[in-house]
Order: sequence, then C-alpha cells, then structure tokens
Amino acid sequence: MEFKLEAHRIVSISLGKIYSARGQRGGLKLHKNLLVSLVLRSARQVYLSEPCCPPEPPAAPRALPEEPPPPCAAAAAWAPGEPPPPPDEAPRGGPRRPGADCESARARRCCCCGCCCCEAGGGGAAPPLPCCSRKRGAGERGQAGSPVKKPRREAEEPPPPPPGEQEDMETGNVANLISIFGSSFSGLLGKDPPGRRRAPRDGGEAAAAAPAEAAAEPGQICCDEPVLRTLNPWSTAIVAF
Amino acid sequence: MKCFSRYLPYLFRPPSTILSSSCHAEADIISTVEFNHTGELLATGDKGGRVVIFQREQESKQQPQRRGEYNVYSTFQSHEPEFDYLKSLEIEEKINKIRWLPQHNAACFLLSTNDKTVKLWKVSERDKRPEGYNLKDEDGRLRDPSMITTLRVPVLRPMDLMVEATPRRVFANAHTYHINSISVNSDYETYMSADDLRINLWNFEITNQSFNIVDIKPANMEELTEVITAAEFHPHHCNTFVYSSSKGTIRLCDMRASALCDRHAKFFEEPEDPSNRSFFSEIISSISDVKFSHSGRYVMTRDYLTVKVWDLNMENRPMETYQVHDYLRSKLCSLYENDCIFDKFECVWNGSDSVIMTGSYNNFFRMFDRNTKRDVTLEASRENSKPRAILKPRKVCVGGKRRKDEISVDSLDFSKKILHTAWHPSENIIAVAATNNLYIFQDKVN
Repeated sequence: MEFKLEAHRIVSISLGKIYSARGQRGGLKLHKNLLVSLVLRSARQVYLSEPCCPPEPPAAPRALPEEPPPPCAAAAAWAPGEPPPPPDEAPRGGPRRPGADCESARARRCCCCGCCCCEAGGGGAAPPLPCCSRKRGAGERGQAGSPVKKPRREAEEPPPPPPGEQEDMETGNVANLISIFGSSFSGLLGKDPPGRRRAPRDGGEAAAAAPAEAAAEPGQICCDEPVLRTLNPWSTAIVAF
Repeated sequence: MKCFSRYLPYLFRPPSTILSSSCHAEADIISTVEFNHTGELLATGDKGGRVVIFQREQESKQQPQRRGEYNVYSTFQSHEPEFDYLKSLEIEEKINKIRWLPQHNAACFLLSTNDKTVKLWKVSERDKRPEGYNLKDEDGRLRDPSMITTLRVPVLRPMDLMVEATPRRVFANAHTYHINSISVNSDYETYMSADDLRINLWNFEITNQSFNIVDIKPANMEELTEVITAAEFHPHHCNTFVYSSSKGTIRLCDMRASALCDRHAKFFEEPEDPSNRSFFSEIISSISDVKFSHSGRYVMTRDYLTVKVWDLNMENRPMETYQVHDYLRSKLCSLYENDCIFDKFECVWNGSDSVIMTGSYNNFFRMFDRNTKRDVTLEASRENSKPRAILKPRKVCVGGKRRKDEISVDSLDFSKKILHTAWHPSENIIAVAATNNLYIFQDKVN
C-alpha cells in the first residue's frame, strides 16, 4: 500500500521536474530528463501493478478489476529461464518487484513487462503474455514521425481493456500529459488501441483534464489510474528534443 | 596513507555578503578545476564563464615557508552567455571543462568549453613594452606627420609583468546537445569534444570542421535509452579513447578500426545487483566521470554512490569498488526530490595512481588508498582552515550512537557539495572546489 503511495508521489515529483525543466536556463538537459523519465516509468508501473488502496465505497467497483494479479499469473508471465518469485512474495515485494521480476539480467530496459504482466492479471482471466514481447514497445512502434494528438479519454472509466490491447498501453494516448504541459510536448507516438471508447477531442485542450478527471471521482487521487495508464512519459520527455 | 597537513587556505572567492554569510553569487560557483601538466598552473572555471589561473610561487630561500603557494596569475572571461535564436534557448556561459595543453614555449594553452563552444586560449606573459614609436606618441595618439623630423627605432623597455589571455581558436557549431567533456589527445594535434549523443574529433588548427567519431543518437528519439556522460583519450595511445554512459557502462574505442567508432572495441559493465534495485537504480548507476590512470592501464569511473577502478583487460566487472557515501542509499527518494541525485561528481587519480579522490556532501571529500585499502574523509571548510593545521578526518554516523565528533547523516548539508577536485600531477597537492571557494591543500613531508 505504501509502495503505491510512494510510487504515486514519485510520479508527481517526476512530472513536476519535467514541467519545470522547460523554463530553465540553458535549455532542456537531455540526460536529466532521460533519467527522470526512467524513474517516472518505473514508478508508474509499480503504481499500476501494486495492490489497490483499501477500496472506498464509491471506488470499490472500479477497484475490483484492478486487483493485483494472482501471484501465479505474475510468476507465469516471466521470461523463460527466470525463476519466478515465491507466490506469496510477488505482489508484495515492494516497489522493486513488479518491475524487477520481469527484468532479466540483460534486458535492462524491459520495463514494460511488469506492466504487461500485471495488466494481464488485472483483466481477470487474461492469459499471461510473454514477457519480452513488449520490450521494445516504445521503439518498435515508431512509425509515425510526426506529432499526433490523441483524443482524450472519457472521464468515466471504461472497463479495463481486454488483454489483446495490452501492447498499446505503453503507447496509449497522452492527452492528459499534453494538457498538462501544453503544446511544448509534441511528437507523441501511438495509435489508438482498438476498442477503447474515446471522446472526440477538440482543438483546445482542457488544461483541467487531469484535475477534472480526479474531481469526477471523489476520493480519487490526482494522478489516478486512468491518467497514469495513459501517460507516456518516455515519448514526451525525449521527443521534446 | 599520507595525512594532509600544512593546510594553506586559499579562499580566492569569498562569498558575497549581500544578505548573509551563506549567500553567494551564483556566477562565482566553480565548475571545473584542472592542474596543468607540470602542476605549476591551476585553472578554474566558474558558472559566470570566467577562468582564473593560479601559479605556484617559486621556491625561495628567503621565505621557505611560502614555498609552493598558489597565487592568482590570470583572470579572463572565456565564455559569454549566448542566445540560440532558432531554438529560443539561452546558452549558458558556465565553463564545463578546462583542459591544458602541454607547454612547449613560454606561452600556455588551454581549452575551455561551455555547453556549445570550445575555445583555445593562449596565456602569455608580457614584461617588456616597446617605446619610441615614430607615428604615435606614448599615449597612443597619432602624431602630426609634419612634426616628425627624425626617425628612431622603438626599443623594448621592461614593464610590470602582465599576463594576457587571447582566444586563438573558437570551435563552434558542432554540437547539438550539451558538451560534457573535452580531452586532448596524446598526439597533441587533436582533441575530442563529447556531448550527450555525439563525440567529435578536432584538429587544433582547423575550426570549421570536425569529425564525428561516435554517434549514439537513435533514428527515432523515442528509442533513446542512454546518453554519453563523459569521454577521455588514452594517455599514451592516441588511437584509443573511452566514453561512459548513463547506464553505467564504459566503451573503449579504437579509432584505427573505423572512422565512426559506434562499435566499441571493449565494453565494460558490471551486472546489476538485484537486491539493490529501486526506483532510482538507473539514476545512481549513471556514470558522472571517467578518468584513465596515468599509467593507462586502468580506468576509474564515478557514479552516484561509488568509485570503481576497472582493468582495461577485464570487462565483466570492476577491479575495485569504493563506497563513497553508501549511507545515502536509503535517502535516494529525498535526494531525488531535491535534485541532489543528479549531481555529477568527478574523481581524480594522484600522480602515482595509488590514491583516488572524489567529493561528497557537506564539503566532505574522500580519498581511497588503493594499496592499503584505507580511506579517509576530509572536510573543506573555513572553520578548520587555519594555516599549517592538519586536516582532521571526519566521520559520518549512520545510526545508533553518535560519537562526539561524528556527524549524523541527517545533519549533512546537501547544498555544500564538492563536485570538482584536482590532484597535482607529481606532488601531493590537491585543489578542492567547494561551491565558490577554492581550497588548496598540500602535504608537506619534512
């Protein structure tokens, strides 16, 4: 539980750093922003994979689909050859575990795996996905070179996307990040995951997108699940260059 | 392990006392320190784009106690703030690195660089002045030609020593990203400059061209996973250089292999310890400095918590690892919040490669003796800056009972960081930059 809070805190801090880096003298520092985006990604995955907060009544129906994956699902999703963690430790291993478990010694950048395993679990009966299929999620996608604005997700959280759309989580829309940072961030790649309901987006981004979403669901914290799931900090921080 | 004694404080940049004693002008923050090849000169660069060079006093029999003190020799403005109109970005004038060229005649040459531009400066002495011009008088005003009735030959007369610095070359417009390193080749004809994604090779004589020798920019910037953090030429082999990355790896490249050294000859990486994994593992593994030993057999790297010595013949793990301030490992989240985790500490070898030194917080700096495996923590501060005083070793208390002269981790001042240090090439003289103060310590073994 506290790891989820810490992860959320780190996400907020990281976003703040990226935001404030825009105005600093000497221009954006590529190295620092790269590191911040790595932390942001790790924290986001932990946040999304950790057991949910003790459910409050209004949020309870939402919380259920995002239950942590059963330990065996996370374990089974490991790359072949990696020993799975003991079942009772997998969800509890702290901020390190979900991301670390899925990382082999070599595949240091295989951060997506944690997210994918856990989302698979969160879908309920979803079959575990092979770990390394999303290793290069950010890179392999990269067909569109030009900036594409993504329509904003609805404030009402749709049911969790079916497992077939897991690959697109990482590349999902970054509408909220755009709205937070304005037009300075461009070139955000990704394609719409099929089947996701979206509200058509108008030209003027609502700067209050994130808080509006938060306000829509009382008891939710600011960077709540749908926002975090749609963040693609990797793209935003780097493509800003 | 030599103890540093006979401490001679050189506080050349006193903090400005506008508001309080802790306040200082940001432009005075020292950003690089470097001895020249003989150790006679010590150059510092600061955030305001200035370079200050100190010269060691000659030994004199009359004043033996003043032997070896460093005094200001020359000060000049190396870089000015610039504005990139295309990107609407200001280019900082902060001097990122200074590197000396070996001296061949009376003049000294050094390279200084900010984020975008490298400059070659010539520092020369003038102690004679020509007098007796025909066409102008002593003030420089032109004389009326009709008043000139005789011709004379100007003569050189002695004058007060003047040290002048002139920019001899400006190497500009070759870096899209921020320059983090420069390194002079052992052939003394070329040097390299490294930014986050590229390394360029220059000839000192040619400013309108440079060769790109390393390029790690991905075709799609979204695929970027690591950047170059430091680079250095081998001290003897003019074809060999290393560069470090933000992922904690070191690549050794051979320029004879190909024009573009994207493929490394050797790749040094230590497997990650899974028990130490945290949100910040990647940040603290980023290498902030890489230095060849004087012998050329070893490479030293500095990451956030450790200093590692690598044998060039062993790529799978470092030969030695030294913990600089492991007590910070549990504080990484706070250090991330206050940006301290991004501090780039440098590391240096002593002349014989037996001792390595690096900085820490609270104005502490650490020395590790590679032979005896002993280490010491010293502090650069005004309080213990009495001349001839011996620097007392400091200790950080990590938990439990704190002894009288120990300092607890929570009392450390993280705004006082020692990022830049330098060691005299042959003697036990060290220069330590503590924010805007320069401390020079000597070890006088009498």
